Amino acid sequence: MRHILAVAIAVTLMATIVSAQERSQTQSTAVPGPDDALNGEKIFGSSCGFCHQGGGRVAGRGPKLAGTDRPDEYLLNRIRVGKEGAMPAYGRAFSETQLRALVAYIRSLKDGNQ
Amino acid sequence: MTTKRTVSYLAGLATVLLVAGACSMSTSETAGGTARASMSDPSGNDWTTYHGTYRSWHYSPLTEINADNVKRLRVAWVHHPGRSTRGLQSMPLVADGVLYYTGSYSRVWALDAATGKPLWSYFPKLNDDLVAAQTHSPYTRGIALGQGKVFVGTVDGRLIALDMKTGQPAWDTKLVNSEKLTVGFTGAPLFVKDKVIIGSQGGEWPGRGPIFGVDAASGRKVWEFFTVAGTEESKKTWGGESWKTGGGGGWMAGGYDPETNAVWWGTGNPAPLYDWAGFDWKTSGPRPGDNLFTTSVVALDADTGRLKFYHQELPHDAWDFDSSVGEFVMLDRDGKKLVVHPNKGGHVFVYDRKDASVVNVWQLAKNINFVKGVDPKTGALIGRRDLPLGKHTNLCPAIAGGMSWNSGAYSPKTGLYYKIGQEWCMDLEVIKTTPVLEPQAQLDIGANFTLRNPEGAKAHGHLSGRDPVTGTKKWEVTFPEPPLASLLATGGNLVFVPDPRGMLRAYNAETGQELWSHNNGIGHNGGIISYSAKGKQYIAVATGWGSLVGDEFGALFGEPFKSMPKDSGAIVVFTLE
Repeated sequence: MRHILAVAIAVTLMATIVSAQERSQTQSTAVPGPDDALNGEKIFGSSCGFCHQGGGRVAGRGPKLAGTDRPDEYLLNRIRVGKEGAMPAYGRAFSETQLRALVAYIRSLKDGNQ
Repeated sequence: MTTKRTVSYLAGLATVLLVAGACSMSTSETAGGTARASMSDPSGNDWTTYHGTYRSWHYSPLTEINADNVKRLRVAWVHHPGRSTRGLQSMPLVADGVLYYTGSYSRVWALDAATGKPLWSYFPKLNDDLVAAQTHSPYTRGIALGQGKVFVGTVDGRLIALDMKTGQPAWDTKLVNSEKLTVGFTGAPLFVKDKVIIGSQGGEWPGRGPIFGVDAASGRKVWEFFTVAGTEESKKTWGGESWKTGGGGGWMAGGYDPETNAVWWGTGNPAPLYDWAGFDWKTSGPRPGDNLFTTSVVALDADTGRLKFYHQELPHDAWDFDSSVGEFVMLDRDGKKLVVHPNKGGHVFVYDRKDASVVNVWQLAKNINFVKGVDPKTGALIGRRDLPLGKHTNLCPAIAGGMSWNSGAYSPKTGLYYKIGQEWCMDLEVIKTTPVLEPQAQLDIGANFTLRNPEGAKAHGHLSGRDPVTGTKKWEVTFPEPPLASLLATGGNLVFVPDPRGMLRAYNAETGQELWSHNNGIGHNGGIISYSAKGKQYIAVATGWGSLVGDEFGALFGEPFKSMPKDSGAIVVFTLE
């Protein structure tokens, strides 16, 4: 009985690890699509539009994001860890998928005042 | 819509009375349980509570510095606390020759009030990961004094008592689950009788924004009033389960009326901040109904926390014009006992202190179109502008409000109320959101917006001296940008205005004529007081820039705000040369 239980735990653990690896690979290689940008827009309007005004199209409390030349990894890191006294850290609040949806939304913004 | 009503004690069932100790509370001045006389009477040399006294006048009766000699005002001493992230936003307090104040990260300092010599400091150990995840942080706007202790709320949800003489902690009570709700305390506590009253942050943060009553001697929580659905009756003003994430809060210190034993407190806006239901807000959308007790003034029994009476200034606030901003100026006129309370939307409400019935409502900000008006007899909103899903232009005032959270001042000598008005508007697009509660609650705004000038004018601010009950204006001074700091009136016929560019200005309280100014080198966004120490009168002002409202200035007004540091600030103290 004990042996069966140990095998079951091992199989479950292995499945979890494989699943996590797959998820990680998906996150790091997936090309953001229009759905990601739409999800990102929703998250943005909930938490980010308070400072990045006009949906990120113009400067306000926070900088304008449309047309930013910062690479994706920079944007992701800034959202994750924030900036003291200026921007909260969202690393614990949002999943990798949500963070990438936010970046996809920022990339979808047309550079120009609206 | 009439929302004011007297609430019976039986109706206050949801107020959580945690400890039955009210009957044994001391009412003796000598027992050390009661407030200092200076908290009720503005005739002394000290400044012992956030709003000057329980009457919230922000007035010092001292006359050594006056309209005739203010030109001789010079810097006496300066204290730099360091690490002033978002500037110093706090109101110093003074008792018995010692000046106490808070810096960012809930740090507390005690200084010799005559020389600035540090006596002690206290830096609480905070949850740094939590602070990094907060938006309305890490500033702390004030402290309270009582029973030989200094009380400070922390951004990670604790209330701490320190020995006034040594700075050693007497107790440290966790009141808010900030690790889950993200918000904590930034506003000053209020010491009343033998309790410390403090309101948590809330607003667009999905929670229920409690106000707490804590035993000053032990740190034991005695009562907790939920500003969202704080009674069974008020829960009916929230459709479905929306009361669970309603926001509210009470993030600024209120006032106290000893005659009714009522703590008056202003509450925050509901969450989400903007409501895509638009005109159908009574029956649909994310929070159907009036959403009591958000954007309200509530009068709580100081001993039990039970709701005595209230008025909801904006039923179903859909604009972030909450009632947490605004001092409770208590006046007696023509046999009536009144309280004057400015609302962020730009109107000033005048109430009868016996039951919060509306005596008058007058308009301070000029650019207002979120309502066509407010009935001065009932306080009912006339012609409200609800904002359905989609784009809207020229909503006035902007989210930053027709008035902000720092306080005005009242002089019993001139009979005038001095208050800053803010003139700006915004365009916005209301969108649907879903509250994020796990693993940690997040802002729920519900719109993207952009601040703009009012039609046909530039955004600006103004200071006026008015009758506090009728709003009749005696004089007005305009500013290119709205001053964001608190004001100070003195018995020397002066009104002090710390402005955003860094100038501290003194005006003749009767005429509005500018008499003196001094450049502090950085914007002001905090408190200002006057006191006497070792026989001399002083003016103490907090400097430093970087609040959420101030952060708008760079994009809207350009320099010097684009370049103004947001990690600096000091206490600057003046006296006559």
